[in-house]
Amino acid sequence: MNSNLGPNSASMREPPVDILDTYRQEAGLSHGELWLRYFEFGGMSTAFELEAYLYGVLAPSTYDHDLIAHALNERFVELGGNHPVAYSEAIRAK
Amino acid sequence: MTTDSWPQFGVTTNFEGTEAVVALHGSVEHQGAFTLGATLDAAIDRHPASIVLDVSELDSIGPTGMMAIANAERRLAQMDTTLTIRSPSDLVNRLLGMMEMAEMSRLLDRVAAENEHVEKHEAKALPLMGAPSGQDGPSEDFRRVTAMPSDPDVIDGALRLIVELARALVEGADGVSVSLLRHGRLSTVAASDQTIMDMDTDQYKTGEGPCVDASIQGQRFHAPALAGETRWPAFTPQALGLGINAILSSPLKALDQPVGALNIYSRTPLAFTTKDQAAAAVFAKKASVILSDAGAGVSDTQMAFRYQEALLSRRTITLATGILMEREGVDEEAAFSDLLRLSLYHGEPLRQQAQTMIQSARELELGPEFGLDA
Repeated sequence: MNSNLGPNSASMREPPVDILDTYRQEAGLSHGELWLRYFEFGGMSTAFELEAYLYGVLAPSTYDHDLIAHALNERFVELGGNHPVAYSEAIRAK
Repeated sequence: MTTDSWPQFGVTTNFEGTEAVVALHGSVEHQGAFTLGATLDAAIDRHPASIVLDVSELDSIGPTGMMAIANAERRLAQMDTTLTIRSPSDLVNRLLGMMEMAEMSRLLDRVAAENEHVEKHEAKALPLMGAPSGQDGPSEDFRRVTAMPSDPDVIDGALRLIVELARALVEGADGVSVSLLRHGRLSTVAASDQTIMDMDTDQYKTGEGPCVDASIQGQRFHAPALAGETRWPAFTPQALGLGINAILSSPLKALDQPVGALNIYSRTPLAFTTKDQAAAAVFAKKASVILSDAGAGVSDTQMAFRYQEALLSRRTITLATGILMEREGVDEEAAFSDLLRLSLYHGEPLRQQAQTMIQSARELELGPEFGLDA
């Protein structure tokens, strides 16, 4: 796993703990549909755990974070948007 | 029908020729998911030509249940056997399960207790109403997505059932209706009688009234005594003319957006007690749950299709990840990162990227087991 810092890390401020859930709401996805999309990508966490990640109660692994970020981003793309949810360094580094 | 055993989980397997039909009943969560997994494994061990998963009596399925199905899918794919999902579900039964009277009265008592003090702040909505998904623990949102279908006719049927139940259980109620915004216009989709229908229509025509305001503003509007009401000058005289003296309109929301109202009418001024108001909030919430699913577009057959699609996507992506693992000699997470980067680089959805990868692997003749019946 590469530990190079991505270009955005210097400018990153501390986001609210439930930032992922805020994105979920903006994307108009129910928790269930987001979980299903996460599941499609191969996610192994339960819907409970997923919600805990979204609300910032549990910290997702890098892998889980990227799955969630991508599930949300694909939704934003479907809605004609961009990829607002940041991926982990592992994705951004290369 | 075994509605009384709700929401216990049960599973039965029938072999019809070379086809195994695995029927699920109740709610598949936790323990039930293990049973489901074991049952599917046992069915697969008998090498049927195909497996049909009948979810028509399924109340809800959770992630562990989905995992069990995903694992069975994976096994079946290796054996070139198909898994299809059959789902002609019975909404009314489900709703009755959902609305089970014991649960209902318990809920009402609790809500009434919680709202004793809210009563003083008349302007505020009841806590349950503003936050359809916030108060009931994290699992509920998932449960409803998977549990509830939303064919328009079926929705209307469900809303009619809510109207019936609200009329029976809200003591001050002489009539109940549900108005919905469809194609930008309000209309009544369920009403307990013609007078109530007329009441709603009067509000749509005058463009005012508690039903209109609740539907548009997404807040509760309570007119305890119409005789002294000043908010709706055009509509109020018409209501009084039809013998209505109190109205309670609770907002209905789909995915947090106001989409209509549950309207309760009474001939008696000051008819609606705290408990009635709490009950109205509960029914409005139930209706909102149904409508949220409608908003999410999860219909009965669509639901089955969505499951299948999710399982297929997962299979595709897992397969592509596996190819990358082998090719790059990396672990699953690193392989997934690679796949994700490729998807971002090409601006293609992950599933499509995975399909491309499988296709090219197949062309490189990595083996027929990589074939995918897309």
